Amino acid sequence: MLKKILIIIGILAVGFLLLNTNNTDYKHLAKDLKSSHILFNKDKPLIDFDLVDHNNKAFNKDSLKGHWSLLFFGYTHCPDVCPTGLMDMAQLKMILSEKGITPPEVVFVTFDARRDTPEVLKSYIAYFDKDFVGVTGDQNSINRIIKPFGAYYENVISIDGVSAILKSGQEIPENINNYLINHTAWIYLINPDGEIFAGFPTPHKVKNMADDIELIVDQF
Amino acid sequence: MFNRISTTLLSLIVMTFFNTSNAQMHHHASNGGIEITDPWVRSAPPNAPALGLFMQIHNHSDNDVKLKSVHTAGYGRIELHRTIESDGMMKMVRQDFMPIAAHNQLTLKPGSWHVMLIDPEKVPSMGEVVNIQLNFDNGMQKNIDAKVRKGKMMHHNMHKQQHKH
Repeated sequence: MLKKILIIIGILAVGFLLLNTNNTDYKHLAKDLKSSHILFNKDKPLIDFDLVDHNNKAFNKDSLKGHWSLLFFGYTHCPDVCPTGLMDMAQLKMILSEKGITPPEVVFVTFDARRDTPEVLKSYIAYFDKDFVGVTGDQNSINRIIKPFGAYYENVISIDGVSAILKSGQEIPENINNYLINHTAWIYLINPDGEIFAGFPTPHKVKNMADDIELIVDQF
Repeated sequence: MFNRISTTLLSLIVMTFFNTSNAQMHHHASNGGIEITDPWVRSAPPNAPALGLFMQIHNHSDNDVKLKSVHTAGYGRIELHRTIESDGMMKMVRQDFMPIAAHNQLTLKPGSWHVMLIDPEKVPSMGEVVNIQLNFDNGMQKNIDAKVRKGKMMHHNMHKQQHKH
C-alpha cells in the first residue's frame, strides 16, 4: 500500500515539475528546431564578465542586453574553422534580413588574448562584416567566461617539429608564437536578457540556423 | 616448318611491340596522371596570419601518390593540415603528406584537408591569382594558379555574373 502511495506521489511530482517548467525553459521548442539545442536554464544565469571590444571599450554582460546576439569563440590565427564561422555569420545575417528579421549582433570572443589585441581584432573582424564585434581581454577572464557556455580549448605548441598540447590555464612559453588552438566551435544564441539561450553545433547550416532563429525569436 | 617459325617470330614481334606500347602508356599515366581542379585561396582580412588553400587532386594513374609539400613565394611557412573533430573540439592536425589513392581523388576544402599558407608578407586580395607549386612523392611537380575568392557560394555568384555579361 505504502509502495503504491509513493509511486502516485512520484508520478504527481514529475507531472507537476513538467507542467511547471514546460513553458519557461523553452524545451518544448526542441522538436521544431533544425540545427540548434535549447540551452536556456533560468536557474543558471550567465556570470558577469569584464572584457573589451575591438574599440577598446568595456564589454560585459550588459553589452549583451536589449538585443539578440550570436556569440562564438575562436582566434585570428585560425585558418579554417573560424573564418568559416565568420563567413557563415555574414551569410546568416543576410538571410535573416531577407526574411525581415533583425539579425542578432555577432560577437566573436577570442580564445587567444596574447595575440588577439583589440587592434588586431578590429581589422580582422571588420573584413567579414562592419557590424561584427570582436572581444578580447585578460586570458583568465576569457577562461572564466567560456565555462558556462561549455566551450573549451587547448593550445598546441611545436618545438623542433614535435607537437605538445597545453591545456587551458597552462602558460605558453614566451618565445613560442606559432601555436595553434584546438577548440570547440559551437555558436551560441544569447537572448535580450543577456542569457545563453540556444547553441548551434558544427557543421553550421546557415539556412537551418536562420529558420531556428526565426522560430525562437517569435516564441520568446 | 618455315611457316611455323615465321608465325612464332611474327607473334613475338607483335607481342613485344604491344607490351612496349602498353608499358609506354603506363609510364605516361604514372607521370602525367595527376590533375588539379578548382584551386583557390580563401580571401582573408589584410592582417590574417594564415590563409587556407583548397583544390581537388585527381590521381588518374595506377599508383598511389602523396602530396609532400607546397611552395609559393611570400609566405613564412606552408604546412599541410587536416581539420578533424575530436573530443568535441575542431583540431587542426599537421600532416606530413596528403595521400591520393590510384584512380581516386582528394578534396581539399574548408573543415577538412587544406594547405595552410602562414605568415603572408602581404595577404592577396580578392580576385588575385597565386602561383603555387605542388611537389609529389613520385618526383612530379605541378604548377597551378589559385584564385583568391570568398568561398563556394561567392564563386557561384561570380560565375552567374560572368555568364550575364
